Amino acid sequence: MGEDSARKQREFEREALAHLDTLYNVALRLTGSAPDAEDLVQDTVTKAYGAWDKYERGTNCRAWLVTILRNTFINQYRRKSKRPTPVEFETVQDVSVFEALQDRDPSGTFFRFIVDDEVKRAIQELPEEFRIPVVLSDVEGLSYAEIAEALELPVGTVKSRLFRGRRRLQQRLYEYALEMGYIG
Amino acid sequence: MAFWKTLRRKGGGALPGDIDCEAVTARLYEYIDGELDDPQTVEKIRRHLDLCKLCFPHYDFEKAFLRYISEHGRTSAPPELKRRIFKAILEEESRD
Ligand SMILES: [Zn+2]
Repeated sequence: MGEDSARKQREFEREALAHLDTLYNVALRLTGSAPDAEDLVQDTVTKAYGAWDKYERGTNCRAWLVTILRNTFINQYRRKSKRPTPVEFETVQDVSVFEALQDRDPSGTFFRFIVDDEVKRAIQELPEEFRIPVVLSDVEGLSYAEIAEALELPVGTVKSRLFRGRRRLQQRLYEYALEMGYIG
Repeated sequence: MAFWKTLRRKGGGALPGDIDCEAVTARLYEYIDGELDDPQTVEKIRRHLDLCKLCFPHYDFEKAFLRYISEHGRTSAPPELKRRIFKAILEEESRD
């Protein structure tokens, strides 16, 4: 192996492969299936490695990788996916469940009773336009600016999708907690 | 009706932090996320939250929700996938 390619490999591992968990999480939430997510991550990494010379050093590598992943998903995966896109319910109110809860459980202790699988399912059920900003922000900890860069959206759009996505997620978890009797 | 409308103070009385509950609610996530650009707005909201019996519990609730999502929404990449990817990069290079 030449010195240059060894350096490229080391740099790629350090800068890009450090974000594998983030890529996997986003892939999982985009495809909704573990095997598809693995394929999507592998395709993304291969593309990113091939384009590594074009990656502008010092810019946000994580956002760059998520953009590649998302574009790969749109071009290759969504087309073959047979799952229907989630139905958009116009009646969903983007209000905080705090309103409904403030007398019974104002500090949100019911969240503690909800298992991980249920949270992940609730995230998965969000419309994609809300789901991915929520995952990037609230699960992966990206800033609004990073999300805007990754999804090629204006910051204002990210902000409003995040707002609405969070409210819907809350609503869903609240309904689940009511069903399960976690809230008296 | 959005709930904060029912909470809005009537009659133009003194507002904690010189900002009303509706304005605080609308910016609550940005405040929690540390994404507000204007330091004056941040300070107004901080003072409002210190004094407002309506907004502070709401703030607490939203923080509990976001903490919960960050702690429970994550799935790590399978170790086998990581191994496969590192191996693929190695092989790619030795081909050059
Ligand atoms: Zn208030």
